[in-house]
Amino acid sequence: MLKREKPKERFSYDPKKVLQKLEEFGKEVLEEIKAGRNPFIDVPTRGLSNVYFDEKDRLIKMGNKTSRRYLFHVAHARKFMQTLLIAAYIKRLVAEGKHASLREAYYANKHTIPGTKENTFEDQSESDPIIEDLERMFGVLREEMHITADRRGYVYGDIVIKDGEDEFNASKLGMGGWAVPGTVEHIEFPEINVDYVLVVETAAMADRLIEEKYPKKEKALIVATQGQASRGVRRLIHRLHYEEGLPIIVFTDGDPYGWYIYSTIKQGSINLAYLSEKLATPEAKFVGMTMDDIKKYGLENVTEKLKGIPPNKKGGPTGDYKRIIEEMNYPWFQNKEWQRQLKLALKWGVRIEQQALANKSLEFVARKYLPEKIANEELLP
Amino acid sequence: MANSEANKLFKEFKIQSVSEFFRRNAAMLGYTGKLRSFTTLIHEAVTNSLDACEEAGILPYVRVEIEELGNEHYKIIVEDNGPGIPEKFIAHVFGKMLAGTKAHRNIQSRGQQGIGISGAVMFAQITSGKATRVITSTGGDEIIEAWVGIDVEKNEGKIFKKIKHPNPTGWRGTRIEMEVKEVRYIRSKQGPYWYLKLTAIANPHAHIELIEPDGKLIVFPRSSEEVPEPPEEMKPHPKGVMTDDVYRMARRTTRTTVRTFLIGEFSRISDKKIDELVKYITALRLIKEEEEQNVREQLLKRLAEGEVDRVLASFGKKAKKVLREVRKIMEKSPDKLTWHEAEEIVEAFKYMTFLAPPTHGLRPIGEENIEKGLLGILKPEFVTAVTRPPKVYRGGIPFQVEVGLAFGGELSSGFDLLRYANRVPLLFDAGSCVITSAARNIDWKRYRVDDLERTPLVLLVNVISVHVPYTSTGKQSVASEEEIYEEIRLAVMEVARRLAKYLGGKHRKLYQVKRRKTFEKYVPEISRALSILTGEPEDTIKTLLIKIIEKKFETIEEKPLEAEENA
Repeated sequence: MLKREKPKERFSYDPKKVLQKLEEFGKEVLEEIKAGRNPFIDVPTRGLSNVYFDEKDRLIKMGNKTSRRYLFHVAHARKFMQTLLIAAYIKRLVAEGKHASLREAYYANKHTIPGTKENTFEDQSESDPIIEDLERMFGVLREEMHITADRRGYVYGDIVIKDGEDEFNASKLGMGGWAVPGTVEHIEFPEINVDYVLVVETAAMADRLIEEKYPKKEKALIVATQGQASRGVRRLIHRLHYEEGLPIIVFTDGDPYGWYIYSTIKQGSINLAYLSEKLATPEAKFVGMTMDDIKKYGLENVTEKLKGIPPNKKGGPTGDYKRIIEEMNYPWFQNKEWQRQLKLALKWGVRIEQQALANKSLEFVARKYLPEKIANEELLP
Repeated sequence: MANSEANKLFKEFKIQSVSEFFRRNAAMLGYTGKLRSFTTLIHEAVTNSLDACEEAGILPYVRVEIEELGNEHYKIIVEDNGPGIPEKFIAHVFGKMLAGTKAHRNIQSRGQQGIGISGAVMFAQITSGKATRVITSTGGDEIIEAWVGIDVEKNEGKIFKKIKHPNPTGWRGTRIEMEVKEVRYIRSKQGPYWYLKLTAIANPHAHIELIEPDGKLIVFPRSSEEVPEPPEEMKPHPKGVMTDDVYRMARRTTRTTVRTFLIGEFSRISDKKIDELVKYITALRLIKEEEEQNVREQLLKRLAEGEVDRVLASFGKKAKKVLREVRKIMEKSPDKLTWHEAEEIVEAFKYMTFLAPPTHGLRPIGEENIEKGLLGILKPEFVTAVTRPPKVYRGGIPFQVEVGLAFGGELSSGFDLLRYANRVPLLFDAGSCVITSAARNIDWKRYRVDDLERTPLVLLVNVISVHVPYTSTGKQSVASEEEIYEEIRLAVMEVARRLAKYLGGKHRKLYQVKRRKTFEKYVPEISRALSILTGEPEDTIKTLLIKIIEKKFETIEEKPLEAEENA
């Protein structure tokens, strides 16, 4: 049976560290200016070219390529100014203990530069990347810099959550559970009465499990991602695993999108490679849906066809087929079990949703499918 | 009986011939189409005024007034401050066709060999039935007001009415008023407005005003105080004449021998050249008698290469005999020169070499005046001009090309080509004109003009010659003579190079200013942000940053200049 383990990380949020990093950064720039030199900022390079898979840690990580951004360079000057503007804004936020959303950060810093018709930021697509740059430069989450992400996903289970002044049990907030906020850095868990975390892709399935009292019966914490897991949810999963020792089990649809959600929770993503160490949970395991489930539970009638053109047909592979082949090439899917599942999906040309289990009965997933598979540890790595 | 009938016939024949001539040759004189006819009327009157002023050394003031009297019915008034017309010449100037002062003279001229203004008077007469009102004074005691028409029967000017007025203020000049129909005033690039604008550009010493039918006054002010010297008559160059020229000139001359006639009335012919001419004529006569075509061709080739003595030697004694005969032609009276002999002379000229023709008769506008004209009328940002040295085409006709270029400023976007021949704007037939093809066949991209049709660029091209090779009798486009084409190309490339250099410098300068501004505008933002991050006072950071910028641009601004000097 799955049990809570010993924590590997400690609650580490400390606003002083963030402030220190910002001040150091400002001083370095000022030193250059005082020396009469052209001040610069070294920003880690974005994109695929600066991303690699670390086999040992089993994480997507960012390389050490940086690009230098000069103030006195026509192509860099504007971004240099924007970087400093946002850095100064963040310093104030953190110092005052206030939080702002990405959009607020954009509006707070947008103004017309005196004597010109130019704005410091023309739209949010200019300020968002600057915030990501600062995350990369300082190795600090934007949540730690008090810039919050969108709120998505919720939690249900016998766990006490301390959010600022408030303390509450996430199984006593009604059927909707506790909505995961944009920032989970400051949240603490004074009391935990669950054995593991079950991450569920769809809200419908999470609702079903709650109605069937699965969290109580199985001593599980349900985390509904509602599609691709938000940064807050990923960070929460990471913390529950590393700080609270809870095993993570992921339950998604049996299709390329579901498997990709799992992949992101487990290994991180290319976009946020520089944050993998804080967001990803390589020890997470996958419970379903798998192709094997179709045979084992006799679900052949409730599968759906994969979208797109298969690889052996003219014009293929496209759509779902293409994504499955891409996933087959991911380093972290290079194991027998996953290759087998992915090959079967290609061979049969089908996908299966979590809700398909309702074909058996409404209670089937909570009473039989999940408890059996988890107890027998029929989990994919 | 028979005699009177013949008289009557002859009389009718004459009436028909002059008016019919005019009608049939309206196109040749520029009277085709309602717009073009209008422009031609203005052209004739304004040209007359400018020519008269220049010959008298007066800075021209020309005022054109157009009144609309009805549908396609206008009154045109052109007034100048020229020397005025003596009373006895009024009928002659306005009434007689084909009898101006410039006909048959080898001289660069604006006008149409004396037919111009009388053609306009004729046009007014046959479209509106009205005589042309002329008010003129030479600055003396009286002003003459006369109504002039053309007596078609006699091909002579006719004064219908004449009034003399006192001239207490000593006014001097000429004012003509013509009433015309079947014309239309449009403010287009082929209309009077554009014509006058172009005339003003090419004649910066002239002050030109136009009052349009709606009462709008347009002034093209004078930008030069210098009256150009009137062109001088030039003797024809042997390479530029035809048999008919030689034959007719020989009939008119007062010289006593063909030799002195040729030396005296042509340029670049000396006594020695006549001896050479004799040899060439002889050689040509002998070669023509040769039966073998191969031999003939070979001999002609050697002749063209200047081996006249050897060619003659190859004919031995026979040559000496012919030589004597030909020498006799040179010593006889010019009026005895036969058509055939004139033909022989012209043919021999083709094989001979002469000094290039004199060019003192060519009157370019001049680089400085082109620049003044373009600047004064168009108000561009950049202007330059090139007047090329005189050249010859067809072996002996002197011509000269000058080109002006204006860029930016008040010019509208797009390329405008202003064509001139002997300072006269050419508004029609641009497509068939050598000026158009030469100016367009330049690779403008090489001169920093990436999109010619969107660049505010005006190019002025003036082709000057005693004999401009027009493509047609309309005199609106210059024929594609290779030498002229090449000269225009060279001149255009020269001004284009100067434009490229100007644009290069301008871009660099603008770029530097822009760069500096880019940095400067961010200084307050950066100072404030850094102050928040570090606690350092904002003003301190600002001062430091401005110091860096100033130091940076001190060094940068010097560098490109050095680079250009090396290039």
